[in-house]
Amino acid sequence: MDFFSAGLGLACLSFVLGLAWRVHGRPGSRLPAAPEQDRRKSGLAAGLADIILLRRTLRSGKVRWAGHMLLILGFLPLLVLHAMDGIVTRPLFSGYEPTLEPWQSARNILGLAALAGLALLAWHRGRRLLPLSRFQDWALPGLLASILLTGFLLEAAKMASPADFERMVADYFPEADSEEFLALQALWARENGVRFERFLPTAPEILEHGRELHEDRCAGCHAPTATAFASRALADALPARIVLPRTVPPIFWHLHVGLSFLALALLPWGKFLHPLASSANLVARGGRRDSGFPATALGRNLALEACTRCGQCSLHCSVAPSRRVLGNADILPMDKLADLRSWLDRSLDDARLTDLVEGSHVCTECLRCTQVCPAGIDLQDLWMSSKAALSEEGRAGVDGEFRKRTAGEWALDLGSRRLGGVGSSGTGLADRAESFWGCVQCTTCTGVCPVVAVSTDPQRDLDLTPQQIMNYLRMGLKAQTLGARMVWSCTTCYKCQEHCPQGVPVADILYELRQLGARTLRHKGKP
Amino acid sequence: MKTYDVMVIGSGFAGMAASLFAAKRGLSVVQAGGTGGIDFSTGFIDLMAVHPVAEQRVWEDPFAALAALRKDLPLHPYAHVADDEIGAALEEFTAFLGNNGLCYTGRPGRNTLALTSAGTVKPTYLLPCSAWGGVEALEAKAPTLLVDFHGLKGISARQIAEVRADWPGLRTARVRFPGMGGELYPEHMAWSMADQARRTELAEAVRPLLGNARFVGFPAIFGMTDTMAVVGHMEELLGRRVFEIPTLPPSIAGPRLRAAFDRGLPALGVRTYTQKLVSAAEVSGEMFHFTAGSGSTAVRIAARGAVLAGGRFFGKGLKADRHAVREAVFDLPVRQPEKREDWHRAEFFDPRGHEINQAGLETDAALRPLGADGQPFHPRLHAAGAILAHQDWMRMKCGAGLAIATACKAVRELSQNL
Repeated sequence: MDFFSAGLGLACLSFVLGLAWRVHGRPGSRLPAAPEQDRRKSGLAAGLADIILLRRTLRSGKVRWAGHMLLILGFLPLLVLHAMDGIVTRPLFSGYEPTLEPWQSARNILGLAALAGLALLAWHRGRRLLPLSRFQDWALPGLLASILLTGFLLEAAKMASPADFERMVADYFPEADSEEFLALQALWARENGVRFERFLPTAPEILEHGRELHEDRCAGCHAPTATAFASRALADALPARIVLPRTVPPIFWHLHVGLSFLALALLPWGKFLHPLASSANLVARGGRRDSGFPATALGRNLALEACTRCGQCSLHCSVAPSRRVLGNADILPMDKLADLRSWLDRSLDDARLTDLVEGSHVCTECLRCTQVCPAGIDLQDLWMSSKAALSEEGRAGVDGEFRKRTAGEWALDLGSRRLGGVGSSGTGLADRAESFWGCVQCTTCTGVCPVVAVSTDPQRDLDLTPQQIMNYLRMGLKAQTLGARMVWSCTTCYKCQEHCPQGVPVADILYELRQLGARTLRHKGKP
Repeated sequence: MKTYDVMVIGSGFAGMAASLFAAKRGLSVVQAGGTGGIDFSTGFIDLMAVHPVAEQRVWEDPFAALAALRKDLPLHPYAHVADDEIGAALEEFTAFLGNNGLCYTGRPGRNTLALTSAGTVKPTYLLPCSAWGGVEALEAKAPTLLVDFHGLKGISARQIAEVRADWPGLRTARVRFPGMGGELYPEHMAWSMADQARRTELAEAVRPLLGNARFVGFPAIFGMTDTMAVVGHMEELLGRRVFEIPTLPPSIAGPRLRAAFDRGLPALGVRTYTQKLVSAAEVSGEMFHFTAGSGSTAVRIAARGAVLAGGRFFGKGLKADRHAVREAVFDLPVRQPEKREDWHRAEFFDPRGHEINQAGLETDAALRPLGADGQPFHPRLHAAGAILAHQDWMRMKCGAGLAIATACKAVRELSQNL
């Protein structure tokens, strides 16, 4: 079995097995079903338009859009018409030869377009996304660029190679005598850039003879190599004294073909799948940018695979500043999605799971990532359902941890800690006696609180009411308030603070207590 | 920046009244003030009931009380407002409240003794229609059932009955409030009464206890914006007259008043900046420039005239530190006891009250506060309500009436000068 068949076979095997592995787990089934499913039909036309015109990518930036467009418009025809010419181009176009026009110049134009697209994308990533980038973000464009470059190098090497010339003459003009061979050599050296070791005559009559032989024997399959303008320029750039050894073109061929097989083999892995998975997801989403459609297990499985790691979600994340403060990569959607995928596969280690839980609870479900995602992933749905699924397994985040015990139990546990408070050296609002000077315990904050309003028994459901918390705090009893479920149920609607007749920053203080609680748990090494 | 005719500083009774009267007189009005005083209102509109306070003399005729007051205390702000104007102002004010879902009633020219949550009676002039049944029941000593709720603080039917030993027909009962448990808060209960099912549940809990009662009294929790509809529905469900007793402040009465103004004033074209205290003011020739609120949400406001109606200490119109009292916006001179130790008398419940409760702004007859030179600080700056000196509205039982009457006068004087 030769290199080509073996390579193609292995690559196809890897592709098929990898794809099967990628879809086998149906990880989306670990997420709780959406309570109400949107029964509206998907807009197939809108989904197709999203794919073909890359409309969502355009929304995220002209450079990314232009880069993708150039890459797709360059690479896709190369893949179909060049890589698969044996089964596509030759049957479709009679008399097809890769070395004839327009194929030769088209290949060069398409290859250059794809390379230009990759250059734009690399430039964009380097400028905007460097801190978010990982190995595979460079590996995918790097592999594509290598395939394209080795293609050009292979074409240039074949042009310049005397061994290839000799092989072709032996195959298609075996009866050539030495004079004819010399004339043909002279013409090809002059016109088509072949580099021969020996000096070749330049006399017009010999070149004319060579041209006649060329027209007769070669031109049927060979357009002038100058039409492959980029490769020819490469070949011409070779210093005049260098003659390519016989081994060079095969080396480039093995590289070019081998890298192409590698790309095929890697297609099911990581972001390499995104051209397929994102497209499928875009069709499933039917042009929608809101959440909740289609919240089926299949839709979620597609969504989980569709990430292109373009980083747009992370660039637009409204809690990105928390990432800078806490240093947890899973606060940003792109990395959180990767870890969520691993968690659903049960392949996430405990430390990363802690990050994932924290990240999913820092998220405010603001919908921004869902709206900007160029792959149309319904991230909002994944965040909401995974948060519920994580809580179900006892990984409920800071507020969930706090809710596992009563305020009194937390007070006992935290009593010995230095939490600050009125009279301490702390600088928080709850550490300043001035915050509570005006408080007359009038219960207005509690009376307007919508959280108190919806609880059937505030004492039982919330431990303490807002005005009771203010009273504890002004007595310096911070540990008693930290575990109060009122603190962890506050919606920060600010009604209490706005209605306080005495200007006590009630909501700000409740928020501050939550931050202190989160910090305390973090340092305890608990989730 | 738009220039308004009038800037009203304050959002209590005086501020709301000033905005209402100015808007009704065709002026362009902007209003800013914090949340505060009005949320603590009993809902009663007192006009004038107790004078002299040292003798605790209660007047049945508020206008007779006013006449005596003007004679005895010529510096009292009421001395600057005529009876006709007071009557008209109250009428306009309560008509506005009525149009915004808050019905008021009373007896022309007569104070009424209203039942309080402590079981005492309080002389007042106008009261919410939802409380009027209590007046009738009390006056007739009619068979009445007083209901209170497990978990609602600040009102105890049993205490009311004990204090009102003169009312043998009064029975009490404590029931569970439907759908809520633990400690209850009037605003939450009031909102929940918007649900007709809740009213039915409540009526079912009370019906077995009715006995021979002709009236049923409840703590004031019957709805926020449609109280009389809820009361009417409860009467229908129970087949008895139903009334409300205001609970301890902050009761639902204050938020009802605020809600009525929050709906009604913008409808009259008043630009309201709620929950924004006026933090700075500049006077430049013909114009006032104010800053309302603080930080990034602060707004600048320009006006040709202004009414200072920020109240006294709780309303933040006056600021007291440990040494002196200052006016919060313009730093106008404040009439106050000379020395800190003169602020309060030795006994907290001294019937004469405390000197600090007479502190405030001195004005001319047009209610323009005086500057340091004893002349009006500005020709178009007026003051109204509790911020005025020489009155102790709490002990005299004249808070809302004084606020409404002086607001009316201030706006009339100001409009003549614009």
